[in-house]
Amino acid sequence: MSEDALDASRAEAPPRRSRRAWLVGGIALAALALGAGTAWYHSRPTATTDGAAILGLVLPDADGRQQAMAQWRGKVLVVNFWATWCAPCREEMPQFVRMQSRDAGKGVQFVGIAVDDAAKVRDFAREIGLNYPSLIGGFGAIELSKSLGNQLSALPFTVVLDRDGRVALSHLGPLKSADLDHLLGRLLANG
Amino acid sequence: MARLADACSLALACSLAAGIAVAQGIPGLQKSLLPADQAFRLSARALDAHTLEARFDIADGYYLYRDKMRFRTDPISAHDPALPAGERKHDAFFGDVATYRREVVVRIPLAQAAPGTTLTLHADSQGCADVGVCYPPNPQQLTVAIPASKYPGPFVEAAGSKWFK
Repeated sequence: MSEDALDASRAEAPPRRSRRAWLVGGIALAALALGAGTAWYHSRPTATTDGAAILGLVLPDADGRQQAMAQWRGKVLVVNFWATWCAPCREEMPQFVRMQSRDAGKGVQFVGIAVDDAAKVRDFAREIGLNYPSLIGGFGAIELSKSLGNQLSALPFTVVLDRDGRVALSHLGPLKSADLDHLLGRLLANG
Repeated sequence: MARLADACSLALACSLAAGIAVAQGIPGLQKSLLPADQAFRLSARALDAHTLEARFDIADGYYLYRDKMRFRTDPISAHDPALPAGERKHDAFFGDVATYRREVVVRIPLAQAAPGTTLTLHADSQGCADVGVCYPPNPQQLTVAIPASKYPGPFVEAAGSKWFK
């Protein structure tokens, strides 16, 4: 390469300020992509996107009546696995009671599945004024929750189905009411 | 000045990105928690011909309930062990409850001396993680050889229980 060509290429190189702008822009874009990727990763259902395993269930309620989950097909369905021996479960349920009475008219249905026996569920339901059904799953419900993504078999564990029966959330641990509000709002808006 | 502007726009983009992650997905605890048999590790040994020692090693941030802890042995039975007092924890629903953190060691007196035999220890326990999940009652068992000599036998560890395999 001649001396002249070298000079010309130097002259065409962008000034430092603009190169830095590109660099910063690139990092910003990468950060955005990472954030969006993380969002997708966290929001994707961990087990299956098909809620058929839930909608096909028939379990007794606390009064011994058999209840088919299919009766709530077409609703935005919040299925909460809980137990009376689980303090964090008991703590988060009053917020579900409030949301059920607020959103029932919009097509939201909460259903509890208790890893527990009927007498204890009845007592606790009375204590907090439970306004949605809690079905009695016993310890078999732990296996059911595992098949829905609860690999650790811990409680509380909550699955949200959209109106088409797809799993929109499969969540271990207490739910913040703001997070659940946001998700329910989105699912109701979609259908 | 230009560098400050760059730093600001970068910080804005990063916080925006983090914001998306929080708003869209609801981060669960699945990835950050231990399976129960790792959070609460049961082991036991024979102290002598008529005493077993069971211990739970409890991971940081986890606890076991004292009133959910039970031990029994077969074919030779055991007397009810004296459980350590534990730490008092106030629970909004359960009131004051006794819990164990870090470790709990329990001496289990056998109904009769059984040198040179093998016993099955059945342990029931139930615990939670401070972040707000509880594990179901966890029945575990392990096989402990009672030494023929007066010296303690080796510790044996429990395999995963049926709920957590």
